[in-house]
Amino acid sequence: MSLTAGVGESRTLAAVPPILEMRDIAKRFGATQALEAVSLTLRPGEVHALLGENGAGKSTLIKIMTGVYQPDRGEILLAGKPITIGSAAEAQRHGIAAIYQEPLLFPDLNVAENIFISHQGRGAVTNWRRMFREAEEILAALGVSLDVRSPARGLTLAAQQSVEIAKAISLNVRVLIMDEPTASLSAHEVAQLFKLVRDLRDKGVAILFVSHRMEEVFEIADTVTVFRDGRLISTRPRAEVTPQIAIADMVGREVGLLKPRPPVAAGDLLLSVRDLCRERVFQNVSFDLRRGEVLGFAGLIGAGRTDIGLALFGIEPATSGTIVLNGQNLAIHSPRQAMANGIAYLSEDRRQLGLSLPMSVAANISLPVLSRFLNRLGLIRTSQENETAEGYRRRLAIRTPSVDLPVAKLSGGNQQKVMLSKWLNTHPSLLILDEPTRGIDVGAKAEVHAMIGELAAEGIGIMMISSDMPEVLAMSDRILVMREGRQMAIFSREEVTQEKIMTAAMGQALVHEGVPA
Amino acid sequence: MNWLQRRVRPEQIRELSLLLLIVVAVIIFGSLIDGYYTSRTFNRIASSVAIITVVAAGQTLVVLTRNIDLSVGSIVGCTAYFTGSLIAANNGLPPILAALVAIALGTLMGSINGVLVAWGRVPSIIVTLGSLAIYRGILIEYSGAKTVTTDSLPAWLVDLPQNALFTIGGLEFRTMVVLAIVVVIIFQLATSLLSFFRRFYAIGSNPEAASLIGLPAQRMIFTSFVLSGALSGLAGFLFLARFGNITVEAGRGLELQVVAAVVVGGVNIFGGSGTIFGAMLGGVMIGTLEQSLFRLGISEFWRDAILGLLILLAVASDAVILNRLRALWARSDLKLIDKTAALPGAASGTSSR
Repeated sequence: MSLTAGVGESRTLAAVPPILEMRDIAKRFGATQALEAVSLTLRPGEVHALLGENGAGKSTLIKIMTGVYQPDRGEILLAGKPITIGSAAEAQRHGIAAIYQEPLLFPDLNVAENIFISHQGRGAVTNWRRMFREAEEILAALGVSLDVRSPARGLTLAAQQSVEIAKAISLNVRVLIMDEPTASLSAHEVAQLFKLVRDLRDKGVAILFVSHRMEEVFEIADTVTVFRDGRLISTRPRAEVTPQIAIADMVGREVGLLKPRPPVAAGDLLLSVRDLCRERVFQNVSFDLRRGEVLGFAGLIGAGRTDIGLALFGIEPATSGTIVLNGQNLAIHSPRQAMANGIAYLSEDRRQLGLSLPMSVAANISLPVLSRFLNRLGLIRTSQENETAEGYRRRLAIRTPSVDLPVAKLSGGNQQKVMLSKWLNTHPSLLILDEPTRGIDVGAKAEVHAMIGELAAEGIGIMMISSDMPEVLAMSDRILVMREGRQMAIFSREEVTQEKIMTAAMGQALVHEGVPA
Repeated sequence: MNWLQRRVRPEQIRELSLLLLIVVAVIIFGSLIDGYYTSRTFNRIASSVAIITVVAAGQTLVVLTRNIDLSVGSIVGCTAYFTGSLIAANNGLPPILAALVAIALGTLMGSINGVLVAWGRVPSIIVTLGSLAIYRGILIEYSGAKTVTTDSLPAWLVDLPQNALFTIGGLEFRTMVVLAIVVVIIFQLATSLLSFFRRFYAIGSNPEAASLIGLPAQRMIFTSFVLSGALSGLAGFLFLARFGNITVEAGRGLELQVVAAVVVGGVNIFGGSGTIFGAMLGGVMIGTLEQSLFRLGISEFWRDAILGLLILLAVASDAVILNRLRALWARSDLKLIDKTAALPGAASGTSSR
């Protein structure tokens, strides 16, 4: 408590000895260096905000702190003593707990038991009366009114998070990690959550707060740390940071890693989308796309970009708004209908939704238009199937000894090319690419980029959803930025910068089409 | 209504309505069957219910963890037969030892299921469908299709079903029934009080969250199958006492009655919720139906069909009725919270934005 006495705005924390220190942490997944030489210090009574783009390494660090991953290098010190965190249970024993966007409660157990479930010293026999009383006491201290006897099933997200916080308090946590806790809360619920966070902070808990909402970070944080590409870029007291500085740190990589795609003379209007909505997912999205144009979709994960792709392809149809494709007004309700109208969609989830892994390369490519490969008896003409697949193998340089091989045997990049072949084989006029190069190696990435350029040159209109900022900048003719289901801006290739995209994606200032307000 | 909602949970309403259904069923059967309200009927139903309930208690633990044990009928058959032939060969075997042999044999068979499900990562429906057939096959092979007969068994065992421990108002409470009640009480208390047994609920309710807080899911699943096997072994001993004549067909089809009892008794087939007491009520319902329909002269095939229908109805009503009740309860909870939030000082709603 002494920490906050009379300190107010200029809380001085440097004097307080740290509770948790991460020193020189590194973690590698395959070819990706997720974390490199990261050192982070958390002090009691501090709300420490963590900012960064998708894939900057925030989640990896959290998973190391909670014992889900083991670091390749580096050490972790708790109150000055080196520790290892081998499992989630061990993290909890050290007093480190995490609250996620979706709380992990037991829906069939009552509120009180959810709070006390992981108490190691709970005793063999449950004293329900005492458990209810203590749960009520904790919740009352938080100013939360919940029936501790009712099951957790059916509680609102905000109530579930209160239960998670009560759980953390009952465990005497010293470090509380909050991973985008506000993402699905209303403004009123956020205000209540922040009150709880401040109470915890005043009790001397160190809080690591991850959020994509800049205004929240600047409301609650004492210290702001920015991650980029697996590295810690800066750690500053809140008073010394502005949203502009933070954004500059988040995107401040050298541009020009990727050569920009040579511009193609855009053709006729292909697609015109007006006021497209899907209830509670995205609202009032409007854009045009010309033949031969690449429209990039930028934004943070969960901004609703993939949902627009799913809506145009009829998987999760839009609830209102108009789609005009090739001058025809369309109400798309199924993928079958979307395909018949010349739309193709490459899912971001290659393994689950994009390909049938046990089936051969050739069978995957012919699958969406199998009727073209049938003979008079309705049997599949394998030779024709293989011929088509061979054509794509040469054109896209798919590295496989044979098109008869199951797709599962191929590398990620080659799987991506098979998926691209499969959809090109439907001869689309509109191609929707969702994270087309995620998780594939640099060589394959360059080949996919070259292919996108070729397809645009052939006159296909391309929508490219990507969280890879350099890719979006290099490939797109125009870039549409989304945030929390809303279209924030459309930038032309000439005017766009990384800062402008990130500013719009973090909701710093609303910018209208083309013209910054 | 508000007072009621504070004290009674939707799950308890379900148990109460099942109790009501049992009463209604008894009244209907009483009007259809001459001489239904006699101690003879009571004893017949009670000893059938006793066996179903003991097995259902173990099955409940398995179902709570999102698994199912279909091999219980075969385990009951095997333990009844092998314990029976052991006693037939050594008439001097003490009763307690004989019961322990049956339980041990059931435990062994249950642990084989448990190892395969928990560590072999084979779905329980496949494992126990396999062991249902294998255990029955072992029984047929080793028995040489011979029968254990009542004549070969000692008097204490043959008389066991007729032994009344105490009598209430003309209704005799026989040893088997009391034993079943004791099993229900022990496991009901364990599942509501012991933190070890509460883990069955946690694991079935949200496996992901359970693993995140370090609950040993595999060990708990194994334990549930071991207990299901042990209780099936005990039920096998009761089966032997009740019928005396044990053929290789003993206990065949019992799994249908047991699963019906568990599901009708309100144990969620998707794991995480339900009580031993509920499963017992389910057992009473199934046992009453089984015996009464038999008295009405309805064929075995129709009785099975009715059991199947009951399972479907119970699962469907679980999905529809219980969800409605829960929604009703949740709404009244919200009202309650609104009221307390309106009080000064409670739940701050100040927004700093």
